Amino acid sequence: MTDQAILVLRLAAPLQSWGGPSRYNRRETLPQPTKSGVLGLLAAAEGRPREASIADLVDLDMGVRVDQPGTLLRDYHTVSDHRGLALPSAKVDGKRVQKRTTPAKYTGVTQRYYLQDAVFVVALRGSAPLLAGLERAVRHPAFPLSLGRRSCPPTGRVSLGLHHDADLTAVLGTVPWEAAEHHRRRIRGSEVTLEATVEDPAGEVLAADVPDTYDLKTGTAFGQRAVRHLWVRIPTGHDAANSGDSPASPASDIPAAGADPGHDPFALLGW
Amino acid sequence: MPYLSKIALNPRRRGAVALLANPHCLHAAVMNGLAHQPVTERVLWRLETNTPHRAEILVLTQSRPSWQGLVEDAGWPGADGGEPLIADYSPLLHRVVEEQEFAFRLTANPVQSVLQPSKPSPEQNRRLAAPADGRRWPRGVRVAHRTTAQQLDWLFRQAKRHGFTIPPVDPAAAPAPGLEPDTPPVPAPAVSLVSRDILRFRKKQNGPRVTISTATFQGRLRVTDAEALRTALLNGIGPAKGYGQGLLTLAPVPAAVPRA
Repeated sequence: MTDQAILVLRLAAPLQSWGGPSRYNRRETLPQPTKSGVLGLLAAAEGRPREASIADLVDLDMGVRVDQPGTLLRDYHTVSDHRGLALPSAKVDGKRVQKRTTPAKYTGVTQRYYLQDAVFVVALRGSAPLLAGLERAVRHPAFPLSLGRRSCPPTGRVSLGLHHDADLTAVLGTVPWEAAEHHRRRIRGSEVTLEATVEDPAGEVLAADVPDTYDLKTGTAFGQRAVRHLWVRIPTGHDAANSGDSPASPASDIPAAGADPGHDPFALLGW
Repeated sequence: MPYLSKIALNPRRRGAVALLANPHCLHAAVMNGLAHQPVTERVLWRLETNTPHRAEILVLTQSRPSWQGLVEDAGWPGADGGEPLIADYSPLLHRVVEEQEFAFRLTANPVQSVLQPSKPSPEQNRRLAAPADGRRWPRGVRVAHRTTAQQLDWLFRQAKRHGFTIPPVDPAAAPAPGLEPDTPPVPAPAVSLVSRDILRFRKKQNGPRVTISTATFQGRLRVTDAEALRTALLNGIGPAKGYGQGLLTLAPVPAAVPRA
């Protein structure tokens, strides 16, 4: 099994939006990157045109680890024609040109949802030569990369390199924590438990985010894949003695059982 | 030798409900725990509000108390965790030295004394009109500080008098990256108003109503005058001490959040 490898990506940005199959004027985001979004990023890095086949990418197995969950942002977004004309309708005339809306509608309203300040680690498992090419492409992308939507470019390095073939769960458990410093400070303790989603044929959850094509003429129809949710424990890098979760911490003279963590007036009375 | 005790009350018992409903009854129950009657020593107590699922009373007494009667009426007699804690308070008094920092909590009744209250009662009018013997002015009327700013100001004035200061907040709590302001922020004092309340109760059925405005401060203090702070720990801060106000308790400063 030496022809398999694992590519690890780091997806971090001020804004990300993983729409999945959301429709019409309400563009939602899922809490984790979708397979469609990640494969689109890889295809853009390789410079594939929208009509190109993505059959080789769809075969990759994907695992996602949530290093920093981020928060939800709703964007109230209006669209109008800068010339002051009515917006085009969904109907077309005989020349297949869109008609104007009747009665005239000048402003379209959309709600767009984003994840702000989130960091994900994505592991992709597949054939080694394909992933080696993708890894090179991510570092020298042909098209600008974006995280789910063109207005969401990634920050920092995207590729964390190729790993030897292993279980996706094992790789997600060994890649160091990628959270930002302000998020690290919030977490105390020497270990942190992170949510992860791994593609697994035996998984009991179905995710409908497998694209068939990115061709704009036909549109994307989403297929399903089975995934499994799990928790990964990885070290935070905090000093265990300072974090207060070790029994040998210097504050061990404070009575632990049932004590108020905020204020215990008996702690200084030496018992 | 002073003692600090903590008694857990069972809020599902009728006896405990009566005590929790009226600070006057709770005061009587606390005083009943002392063997020397009538009680002449200074007793400080506080109803702990930081544990939402437990009702606990902290009591500071000069003589060793017995809470057996209180536990039998309103606690968990014989239950695990229902035993009252009684600890010698002197180790803390020996630990108080200048420049040392402690975490503190204080539930107090912040008041000021005014000579011209806006709506004086007939009783107050009588007192304001006739100064006590040997005084040029009458004693003012106690009026509660009701806003957070006034209550914090009151605490800072009391701190100066009782031998401690409130240092600024730990600079480790920096703003998020990219949010640095143009002018450096003025460091805020390390204290917060954890809860504010107004206690209204009667001493007797159909008796006059007592109203006490309370504020619970929690934060960090630095000792500037150990002797004055020791006195404040034993004698309390501010008025309404009989109704559970003014007990200052110290605890270790919580360990700072580790930085990456």
